[in-house]
Amino acid sequence: MLPVERIIGEEGLAAREQGLRLAMRLPWYRSLPFSTVEVGALAIDGEAVDLADARVEFDDHSWTLAEMAEQIDAFWFVRDSAFLVVPGKAVAPGEDHAVTLTLFVNPPYIPGMKRHNTQTAQLRVQ
Amino acid sequence: MTTVSTATAARPGNPKDPANGPQVGVTLYSFTNEWLSRQFDLAGLMREVAARDLGPNIEIIGFQNFKEFPDVSDAFADHFKGLIAETGLNPVSLAVNSDRFLRPGQTPVEDEFLVEYHKRQLRSAKKLGFDLVRYQFALPVHLLPEIVPYAEDLGVRMGVEVHAPMWARHPAVLAYREMYEKLDTPYLGWIPDFGGTARAIPPSLLDAARAAGARESLIDLVQEIWPGEGASHEKIGRLRERALADGHAPEHIQAVGLAFFILSNHDPKSWAEMVDRTIHIHGKFYGVNDDGIEEAVPYEEILPLFRDGGFTGTIVSEWEGHAYCTADAFEQVRRHQAMCRRIFAS
Repeated sequence: MLPVERIIGEEGLAAREQGLRLAMRLPWYRSLPFSTVEVGALAIDGEAVDLADARVEFDDHSWTLAEMAEQIDAFWFVRDSAFLVVPGKAVAPGEDHAVTLTLFVNPPYIPGMKRHNTQTAQLRVQ
Repeated sequence: MTTVSTATAARPGNPKDPANGPQVGVTLYSFTNEWLSRQFDLAGLMREVAARDLGPNIEIIGFQNFKEFPDVSDAFADHFKGLIAETGLNPVSLAVNSDRFLRPGQTPVEDEFLVEYHKRQLRSAKKLGFDLVRYQFALPVHLLPEIVPYAEDLGVRMGVEVHAPMWARHPAVLAYREMYEKLDTPYLGWIPDFGGTARAIPPSLLDAARAAGARESLIDLVQEIWPGEGASHEKIGRLRERALADGHAPEHIQAVGLAFFILSNHDPKSWAEMVDRTIHIHGKFYGVNDDGIEEAVPYEEILPLFRDGGFTGTIVSEWEGHAYCTADAFEQVRRHQAMCRRIFAS
Protein backbone atom coordinates (compact mmCIF):
# COMPACT_ATOMS: atom_id res chain seq x y z
CA MET A 1 0.00 0.00 0.00
CA LEU A 2 1.26 3.46 -0.91
CA PRO A 3 1.33 6.23 1.67
CA VAL A 4 -1.34 8.06 -0.37
CA GLU A 5 -3.63 5.02 -0.10
CA ARG A 6 -3.44 4.75 3.67
CA ILE A 7 -6.74 5.70 5.30
CA ILE A 8 -6.53 3.93 8.67
CA GLY A 9 -4.35 6.21 10.78
CA GLU A 10 -1.28 5.37 12.85
CA GLU A 11 -3.17 6.14 16.07
CA GLY A 12 -5.43 3.14 15.42
CA LEU A 13 -8.61 2.12 17.23
CA ALA A 14 -9.54 3.23 20.74
CA ALA A 15 -12.41 2.60 23.14
CA ARG A 16 -14.38 5.69 23.89
CA GLU A 17 -17.45 6.22 26.12
CA GLN A 18 -19.57 3.25 25.02
CA GLY A 19 -18.21 3.56 21.54
CA LEU A 20 -15.10 3.65 19.42
CA ARG A 21 -12.69 6.13 17.96
CA LEU A 22 -10.78 5.31 14.76
CA ALA A 23 -7.88 7.30 13.33
CA MET A 24 -8.26 8.18 9.64
CA ARG A 25 -5.70 9.51 7.15
CA LEU A 26 -6.60 11.57 4.10
CA PRO A 27 -5.78 9.56 0.94
CA TRP A 28 -4.52 12.51 -1.12
CA TYR A 29 -1.26 14.39 -1.51
CA ARG A 30 -2.47 17.68 0.01
CA SER A 31 -4.82 19.04 2.64
CA LEU A 32 -8.45 19.38 1.62
CA PRO A 33 -11.56 21.02 3.03
CA PHE A 34 -13.60 18.44 4.91
CA SER A 35 -16.53 19.08 2.55
CA THR A 36 -14.68 17.22 -0.20
CA VAL A 37 -14.28 14.02 1.82
CA GLU A 38 -16.96 11.41 2.52
CA VAL A 39 -16.86 8.60 5.04
CA GLY A 40 -18.24 5.85 2.84
CA ALA A 41 -18.48 2.89 5.19
CA LEU A 42 -17.07 1.25 8.29
CA ALA A 43 -17.16 -2.45 9.12
CA ILE A 44 -15.91 -4.19 12.25
CA ASP A 45 -15.15 -7.90 11.85
CA GLY A 46 -17.03 -7.85 8.58
CA GLU A 47 -20.19 -6.33 10.01
CA ALA A 48 -21.34 -2.93 8.73
CA VAL A 49 -21.44 -0.22 11.40
CA ASP A 50 -24.31 2.26 11.43
CA LEU A 51 -22.81 5.73 10.99
CA ALA A 52 -26.04 7.69 11.65
CA ASP A 53 -24.65 9.07 14.95
CA ALA A 54 -21.00 9.14 13.88
CA ARG A 55 -18.89 12.26 14.24
CA VAL A 56 -15.58 13.32 12.78
CA GLU A 57 -13.12 15.07 15.08
CA PHE A 58 -10.11 17.09 14.00
CA ASP A 59 -8.14 19.31 16.38
CA ASP A 60 -10.82 21.28 18.25
CA HIS A 61 -13.62 20.49 15.77
CA SER A 62 -16.34 17.87 15.99
CA TRP A 63 -18.95 17.41 13.26
CA THR A 64 -21.69 14.97 12.33
CA LEU A 65 -21.13 13.57 8.85
CA ALA A 66 -23.82 15.91 7.51
CA GLU A 67 -22.13 18.89 9.15
CA MET A 68 -18.76 17.78 7.77
CA ALA A 69 -20.16 18.06 4.23
CA GLU A 70 -20.68 21.79 4.84
CA GLN A 71 -17.09 22.50 5.93
CA ILE A 72 -15.71 24.27 2.88
CA ASP A 73 -13.34 26.36 4.98
CA ALA A 74 -11.99 23.86 7.52
CA PHE A 75 -9.02 21.89 6.29
CA TRP A 76 -7.84 18.35 6.96
CA PHE A 77 -4.06 18.77 7.17
CA VAL A 78 -2.75 15.94 5.07
CA ARG A 79 -0.08 14.86 7.54
CA ASP A 80 -2.50 14.58 10.49
CA SER A 81 -5.16 12.06 11.38
CA ALA A 82 -8.81 12.94 11.79
CA PHE A 83 -10.89 10.69 14.06
CA LEU A 84 -14.13 8.88 13.35
CA VAL A 85 -16.13 8.57 16.57
CA VAL A 86 -19.02 6.09 16.68
CA PRO A 87 -20.92 6.31 19.99
CA GLY A 88 -23.12 3.29 19.38
CA LYS A 89 -20.43 0.71 18.72
CA ALA A 90 -18.76 -0.55 21.87
CA VAL A 91 -15.26 -2.03 21.86
CA ALA A 92 -13.03 -2.85 24.84
CA PRO A 93 -9.31 -2.21 25.31
CA GLY A 94 -7.19 -5.22 24.40
CA GLU A 95 -9.66 -6.71 21.92
CA ASP A 96 -8.54 -7.42 18.37
CA HIS A 97 -10.78 -6.42 15.49
CA ALA A 98 -10.66 -6.41 11.70
CA VAL A 99 -11.53 -2.85 10.71
CA THR A 100 -12.55 -1.95 7.16
CA LEU A 101 -12.91 1.71 6.28
CA THR A 102 -13.95 3.32 3.00
CA LEU A 103 -13.35 6.98 2.16
CA PHE A 104 -14.25 8.95 -0.95
CA VAL A 105 -12.30 12.04 -1.99
CA ASN A 106 -13.62 14.57 -4.49
CA PRO A 107 -10.61 16.75 -5.49
CA PRO A 108 -12.02 20.31 -5.66
CA TYR A 109 -10.12 21.41 -8.77
CA ILE A 110 -10.43 18.26 -10.91
CA PRO A 111 -14.01 18.02 -12.22
CA GLY A 112 -15.17 14.43 -12.61
CA MET A 113 -12.59 12.84 -10.34
CA LYS A 114 -13.85 10.85 -7.37
CA ARG A 115 -11.40 8.57 -5.64
CA HIS A 116 -12.48 5.48 -3.71
CA ASN A 117 -10.21 4.08 -1.06
CA THR A 118 -10.85 1.06 1.14
CA GLN A 119 -8.46 -0.39 3.69
CA THR A 120 -8.73 -3.27 6.11
CA ALA A 121 -6.46 -3.55 9.13
CA GLN A 122 -6.26 -5.86 12.13
CA LEU A 123 -6.22 -3.52 15.12
CA ARG A 124 -5.92 -3.97 18.90
CA VAL A 125 -8.20 -1.62 20.80
CA GLN A 126 -6.35 0.90 22.96
CA MET B 1 2.53 48.68 -8.07
CA THR B 2 6.15 47.60 -7.97
CA THR B 3 7.97 47.00 -11.21
CA VAL B 4 9.28 43.59 -12.12
CA SER B 5 11.18 42.23 -15.02
CA THR B 6 9.54 39.23 -16.58
CA ALA B 7 11.21 35.87 -16.04
CA THR B 8 11.56 35.49 -19.76
CA ALA B 9 13.75 38.57 -20.17
CA ALA B 10 16.96 36.92 -21.33
CA ARG B 11 20.08 37.51 -19.34
CA PRO B 12 22.96 38.61 -21.52
CA GLY B 13 25.31 35.88 -22.62
CA ASN B 14 25.13 32.33 -23.82
CA PRO B 15 21.96 30.60 -22.55
CA LYS B 16 23.84 27.28 -22.52
CA ASP B 17 25.96 28.70 -19.70
CA PRO B 18 24.19 27.80 -16.43
CA ALA B 19 24.83 31.31 -15.14
CA ASN B 20 22.71 32.82 -17.91
CA GLY B 21 20.08 30.24 -18.83
CA PRO B 22 17.26 28.41 -17.05
CA GLN B 23 17.76 27.49 -13.39
CA VAL B 24 16.94 24.16 -11.76
CA GLY B 25 15.27 23.41 -8.44
CA VAL B 26 12.82 21.03 -6.82
CA THR B 27 9.23 20.99 -5.62
CA LEU B 28 8.77 19.34 -2.25
CA TYR B 29 5.79 17.56 -3.87
CA SER B 30 8.40 15.11 -5.18
CA PHE B 31 8.75 13.88 -1.60
CA THR B 32 5.05 13.16 -1.05
CA ASN B 33 5.73 9.58 0.09
CA GLU B 34 8.25 10.72 2.69
CA TRP B 35 5.90 13.48 3.83
CA LEU B 36 2.72 11.40 4.13
CA SER B 37 4.54 8.62 5.97
CA ARG B 38 5.85 11.19 8.47
CA GLN B 39 9.51 10.42 7.78
CA PHE B 40 10.13 14.17 7.74
CA ASP B 41 8.48 17.20 9.22
CA LEU B 42 8.82 20.48 7.30
CA ALA B 43 12.09 21.50 8.95
CA GLY B 44 13.53 18.02 8.45
CA LEU B 45 12.52 17.89 4.79
CA MET B 46 13.96 21.33 4.03
CA ARG B 47 17.22 20.40 5.77
CA GLU B 48 17.41 17.13 3.81
CA VAL B 49 16.87 18.90 0.47
CA ALA B 50 19.58 21.41 1.33
CA ALA B 51 22.00 18.75 2.62
CA ARG B 52 21.59 16.74 -0.59
CA ASP B 53 22.18 19.90 -2.63
CA LEU B 54 18.86 19.57 -4.47
CA GLY B 55 18.09 23.28 -4.07
CA PRO B 56 18.53 26.05 -3.49
CA ASN B 57 15.42 26.81 -5.58
CA ILE B 58 12.30 25.20 -4.12
CA GLU B 59 8.58 25.15 -4.73
CA ILE B 60 6.14 24.28 -1.96
CA ILE B 61 2.44 23.40 -2.21
CA GLY B 62 0.83 25.51 0.50
CA PHE B 63 -1.87 22.93 1.13
CA GLN B 64 0.69 20.13 1.42
CA ASN B 65 3.33 21.47 3.78
CA PHE B 66 1.69 24.33 5.71
CA LYS B 67 -0.92 23.31 8.26
CA GLU B 68 -2.34 26.81 8.67
CA PHE B 69 -2.89 27.29 4.92
CA PRO B 70 -4.64 29.07 3.20
CA ASP B 71 -3.84 31.60 5.95
CA VAL B 72 -0.57 31.75 7.87
CA SER B 73 0.12 33.35 11.24
CA ASP B 74 2.96 35.74 11.95
CA ALA B 75 4.53 33.09 14.16
CA PHE B 76 4.52 30.49 11.38
CA ALA B 77 5.85 32.97 8.82
CA ASP B 78 8.73 33.79 11.19
CA HIS B 79 9.41 30.07 11.67
CA PHE B 80 9.44 29.43 7.92
CA LYS B 81 11.67 32.39 7.15
CA GLY B 82 14.02 31.15 9.83
CA LEU B 83 14.19 27.76 8.10
CA ILE B 84 14.89 29.47 4.77
CA ALA B 85 17.71 31.46 6.35
CA GLU B 86 19.14 28.38 8.08
CA THR B 87 19.05 26.09 5.04
CA GLY B 88 19.97 28.66 2.40
CA LEU B 89 17.04 27.50 0.26
CA ASN B 90 15.38 29.95 -2.12
CA PRO B 91 11.55 29.98 -2.06
CA VAL B 92 10.85 30.56 -5.74
CA SER B 93 7.27 29.34 -6.05
CA LEU B 94 4.28 28.68 -3.82
CA ALA B 95 1.68 26.39 -5.38
CA VAL B 96 -1.81 27.65 -4.51
CA ASN B 97 -5.02 25.85 -5.36
CA SER B 98 -8.02 27.12 -7.28
CA ASP B 99 -10.49 24.98 -5.33
CA ARG B 100 -13.79 25.88 -6.98
CA PHE B 101 -15.67 22.58 -6.59
CA LEU B 102 -15.81 22.56 -2.82
CA ARG B 103 -19.36 21.49 -2.11
CA PRO B 104 -20.70 17.93 -2.11
CA GLY B 105 -21.06 16.52 -5.60
CA GLN B 106 -18.28 18.91 -6.73
CA THR B 107 -20.81 21.76 -6.76
CA PRO B 108 -18.94 25.05 -7.26
CA VAL B 109 -18.64 27.74 -4.60
CA GLU B 110 -19.73 31.31 -5.26
CA ASP B 111 -17.38 33.54 -7.27
CA GLU B 112 -16.92 35.88 -4.33
CA PHE B 113 -15.69 33.03 -2.12
CA LEU B 114 -13.29 31.83 -4.80
CA VAL B 115 -11.83 35.29 -5.35
CA GLU B 116 -11.22 35.72 -1.63
CA TYR B 117 -9.78 32.18 -1.46
CA HIS B 118 -7.13 33.25 -3.97
CA LYS B 119 -6.42 36.52 -2.18
CA ARG B 120 -5.85 34.68 1.10
CA GLN B 121 -3.29 32.44 -0.56
CA LEU B 122 -1.60 35.38 -2.30
CA ARG B 123 -1.29 37.18 1.05
CA SER B 124 0.24 34.08 2.58
CA ALA B 125 2.71 33.77 -0.31
CA LYS B 126 3.89 37.33 0.25
CA LYS B 127 4.10 36.85 4.00
CA LEU B 128 6.26 33.72 3.58
CA GLY B 129 8.65 35.37 1.11
CA PHE B 130 7.41 33.94 -2.22
CA ASP B 131 6.97 36.32 -5.16
CA LEU B 132 5.44 33.78 -7.54
CA VAL B 133 2.44 31.49 -7.16
CA ARG B 134 1.11 28.61 -9.21
CA TYR B 135 -2.67 28.69 -9.70
CA GLN B 136 -5.05 26.49 -11.72
CA PHE B 137 -7.56 26.56 -14.57
CA ALA B 138 -10.35 25.73 -12.13
CA LEU B 139 -10.41 29.52 -11.65
CA PRO B 140 -12.93 30.78 -14.23
CA VAL B 141 -11.07 33.18 -16.51
CA HIS B 142 -13.61 35.98 -16.04
CA LEU B 143 -12.53 36.29 -12.39
CA LEU B 144 -8.90 37.08 -13.22
CA PRO B 145 -9.50 40.86 -13.47
CA GLU B 146 -10.74 40.81 -9.86
CA ILE B 147 -7.61 39.08 -8.57
CA VAL B 148 -4.73 40.40 -10.65
CA PRO B 149 -4.69 43.96 -9.26
CA TYR B 150 -4.36 42.43 -5.78
CA ALA B 151 -1.39 40.33 -6.91
CA GLU B 152 0.18 43.40 -8.54
CA ASP B 153 -0.17 45.40 -5.32
CA LEU B 154 1.51 42.58 -3.39
CA GLY B 155 4.21 42.19 -6.04
CA VAL B 156 3.39 38.49 -6.54
CA ARG B 157 3.34 36.99 -10.06
CA MET B 158 0.70 34.39 -10.89
CA GLY B 159 1.34 31.47 -13.23
CA VAL B 160 -1.48 29.18 -14.28
CA GLU B 161 -0.35 25.58 -14.48
CA VAL B 162 -0.77 24.11 -17.96
CA HIS B 163 -1.26 20.53 -16.80
CA ALA B 164 -2.61 17.53 -18.71
CA PRO B 165 -5.08 17.41 -20.37
CA MET B 166 -4.30 21.08 -21.09
CA TRP B 167 -1.77 22.10 -23.70
CA ALA B 168 -0.94 25.13 -25.84
CA ARG B 169 -4.06 24.91 -28.00
CA HIS B 170 -6.60 23.62 -25.49
CA PRO B 171 -9.73 25.85 -25.51
CA ALA B 172 -9.20 26.82 -21.86
CA VAL B 173 -5.63 27.87 -22.61
CA LEU B 174 -6.79 29.93 -25.58
CA ALA B 175 -9.40 31.67 -23.42
CA TYR B 176 -6.73 32.46 -20.83
CA ARG B 177 -4.39 33.66 -23.58
CA GLU B 178 -7.03 36.13 -24.75
CA MET B 179 -7.48 37.44 -21.20
CA TYR B 180 -3.70 37.62 -20.68
CA GLU B 181 -3.35 39.71 -23.82
CA LYS B 182 -6.17 41.98 -22.69
CA LEU B 183 -4.78 42.50 -19.18
CA ASP B 184 -1.20 42.64 -20.53
CA THR B 185 0.70 42.53 -17.26
CA PRO B 186 4.00 40.86 -16.37
CA TYR B 187 2.27 39.54 -13.25
CA LEU B 188 0.45 36.87 -15.26
CA GLY B 189 2.07 33.94 -17.01
CA TRP B 190 2.17 30.22 -17.77
CA ILE B 191 3.62 27.36 -15.77
CA PRO B 192 4.04 24.45 -18.19
CA ASP B 193 3.79 20.95 -16.75
CA PHE B 194 5.32 18.51 -19.18
CA GLY B 195 2.87 15.72 -18.40
CA GLY B 196 0.70 17.19 -21.16
CA THR B 197 3.24 16.21 -23.81
CA ALA B 198 4.26 12.70 -22.80
CA ARG B 199 5.31 10.18 -25.43
CA ALA B 200 3.87 7.22 -23.50
CA ILE B 201 2.32 6.11 -20.26
CA PRO B 202 5.31 5.62 -17.93
CA PRO B 203 6.31 1.94 -17.94
CA SER B 204 6.79 2.27 -14.18
CA LEU B 205 3.07 3.14 -13.83
CA LEU B 206 2.06 0.07 -15.80
CA ASP B 207 4.47 -2.09 -13.77
CA ALA B 208 2.88 -0.79 -10.57
CA ALA B 209 -0.59 -1.72 -11.89
CA ARG B 210 0.69 -5.21 -12.77
CA ALA B 211 2.19 -5.55 -9.29
CA ALA B 212 -1.20 -4.56 -7.83
CA GLY B 213 -2.79 -7.41 -9.77
CA ALA B 214 -3.98 -5.79 -13.00
CA ARG B 215 -4.13 -8.33 -15.84
CA GLU B 216 -2.19 -7.88 -19.06
CA SER B 217 -5.40 -7.39 -21.04
CA LEU B 218 -6.13 -4.25 -18.96
CA ILE B 219 -2.59 -2.96 -19.55
CA ASP B 220 -3.14 -3.48 -23.29
CA LEU B 221 -6.51 -1.74 -23.15
CA VAL B 222 -5.21 1.41 -21.43
CA GLN B 223 -2.33 1.62 -23.88
CA GLU B 224 -4.80 1.34 -26.75
CA ILE B 225 -7.17 4.05 -25.47
CA TRP B 226 -4.71 6.58 -23.95
CA PRO B 227 -3.02 7.75 -27.19
CA GLY B 228 -6.28 7.86 -29.18
CA GLU B 229 -8.51 10.76 -30.14
CA GLY B 230 -10.86 12.50 -27.72
CA ALA B 231 -10.85 14.36 -24.41
CA SER B 232 -9.28 12.66 -21.39
CA HIS B 233 -12.58 12.36 -19.53
CA GLU B 234 -14.15 10.66 -22.56
CA LYS B 235 -11.25 8.27 -22.85
CA ILE B 236 -11.35 7.29 -19.20
CA GLY B 237 -15.09 6.73 -19.59
CA ARG B 238 -14.38 4.34 -22.47
CA LEU B 239 -11.70 2.60 -20.42
CA ARG B 240 -14.06 2.10 -17.46
CA GLU B 241 -16.87 0.81 -19.65
CA ARG B 242 -14.78 -1.69 -21.57
CA ALA B 243 -12.69 -2.79 -18.59
CA LEU B 244 -15.75 -3.43 -16.41
CA ALA B 245 -17.37 -5.36 -19.27
CA ASP B 246 -14.19 -7.46 -19.46
CA GLY B 247 -14.41 -8.21 -15.74
CA HIS B 248 -11.49 -6.11 -14.47
CA ALA B 249 -11.58 -5.03 -10.82
CA PRO B 250 -12.45 -1.38 -10.06
CA GLU B 251 -9.21 -0.90 -8.09
CA HIS B 252 -7.16 -2.06 -11.08
CA ILE B 253 -9.10 0.28 -13.37
CA GLN B 254 -8.44 3.15 -10.93
CA ALA B 255 -4.72 2.27 -10.94
CA VAL B 256 -4.32 2.43 -14.73
CA GLY B 257 -6.92 5.21 -15.10
CA LEU B 258 -4.57 7.54 -13.21
CA ALA B 259 -2.72 7.95 -16.52
CA PHE B 260 -5.62 9.95 -17.99
CA PHE B 261 -5.52 12.52 -15.19
CA ILE B 262 -1.77 13.10 -15.13
CA LEU B 263 -0.65 12.59 -18.75
CA SER B 264 -1.60 13.32 -22.31
CA ASN B 265 0.31 13.01 -25.57
CA HIS B 266 0.16 16.42 -27.24
CA ASP B 267 2.98 17.67 -29.47
CA PRO B 268 6.07 18.55 -27.37
CA LYS B 269 7.01 21.27 -29.86
CA SER B 270 3.75 23.07 -29.06
CA TRP B 271 5.38 24.49 -25.90
CA ALA B 272 7.22 26.91 -28.21
CA GLU B 273 3.95 28.87 -28.44
CA MET B 274 4.01 29.49 -24.69
CA VAL B 275 7.65 30.34 -24.00
CA ASP B 276 7.20 34.10 -24.11
CA ARG B 277 4.84 34.17 -21.12
CA THR B 278 6.35 31.24 -19.24
CA ILE B 279 7.41 32.39 -15.76
CA HIS B 280 8.18 29.04 -14.12
CA ILE B 281 8.19 25.36 -15.08
CA HIS B 282 7.08 22.10 -13.49
CA GLY B 283 9.57 19.49 -14.65
CA LYS B 284 7.12 16.63 -14.33
CA PHE B 285 8.77 13.21 -14.53
CA TYR B 286 8.30 9.59 -13.54
CA GLY B 287 11.64 7.82 -13.81
CA VAL B 288 15.09 8.84 -15.05
CA ASN B 289 17.07 5.74 -15.98
CA ASP B 290 20.78 4.98 -15.58
CA ASP B 291 21.45 6.63 -18.95
CA GLY B 292 19.86 9.89 -17.79
CA ILE B 293 16.72 9.55 -19.91
CA GLU B 294 13.20 10.18 -18.57
CA GLU B 295 10.93 7.26 -19.42
CA ALA B 296 7.77 9.12 -20.53
CA VAL B 297 8.48 12.80 -21.22
CA PRO B 298 10.75 13.80 -24.17
CA TYR B 299 12.96 16.33 -22.37
CA GLU B 300 15.50 16.37 -25.21
CA GLU B 301 12.83 17.89 -27.44
CA ILE B 302 11.25 20.21 -24.90
CA LEU B 303 13.99 21.90 -22.87
CA PRO B 304 15.88 23.53 -25.78
CA LEU B 305 12.64 25.31 -26.75
CA PHE B 306 12.66 27.16 -23.42
CA ARG B 307 16.42 27.72 -23.27
CA ASP B 308 16.59 29.10 -26.81
CA GLY B 309 13.36 31.07 -26.32
CA GLY B 310 14.99 33.09 -23.55
CA PHE B 311 13.45 31.48 -20.47
CA THR B 312 15.63 32.23 -17.42
CA GLY B 313 13.25 31.25 -14.64
CA THR B 314 13.35 27.98 -12.71
CA ILE B 315 12.36 24.47 -13.69
CA VAL B 316 11.54 22.57 -10.52
CA SER B 317 11.95 18.80 -10.67
CA GLU B 318 8.56 17.26 -9.97
CA TRP B 319 8.74 13.51 -9.47
CA GLU B 320 5.22 12.07 -9.54
CA GLY B 321 6.03 8.38 -9.38
CA HIS B 322 4.86 8.53 -5.77
CA ALA B 323 1.30 8.34 -7.12
CA TYR B 324 1.96 4.66 -7.78
CA CYS B 325 5.34 3.56 -6.37
CA THR B 326 7.86 4.11 -3.58
CA ALA B 327 11.11 4.56 -5.50
CA ASP B 328 13.76 6.77 -3.89
CA ALA B 329 12.49 10.29 -4.62
CA PHE B 330 15.75 11.99 -3.61
CA GLU B 331 17.73 9.87 -6.08
CA GLN B 332 15.15 10.47 -8.81
CA VAL B 333 15.33 14.24 -8.30
CA ARG B 334 19.14 14.14 -8.38
CA ARG B 335 19.04 12.29 -11.71
CA HIS B 336 16.41 14.62 -13.15
CA GLN B 337 18.35 17.76 -12.26
CA ALA B 338 21.50 16.26 -13.80
CA MET B 339 19.52 15.47 -16.96
CA CYS B 340 18.14 19.02 -17.19
CA ARG B 341 21.60 20.55 -16.72
CA ARG B 342 23.03 18.23 -19.38
CA ILE B 343 20.35 19.18 -21.91
CA PHE B 344 20.55 22.91 -21.16
CA ALA B 345 24.34 22.83 -21.70
CA SER B 346 24.23 20.73 -24.86
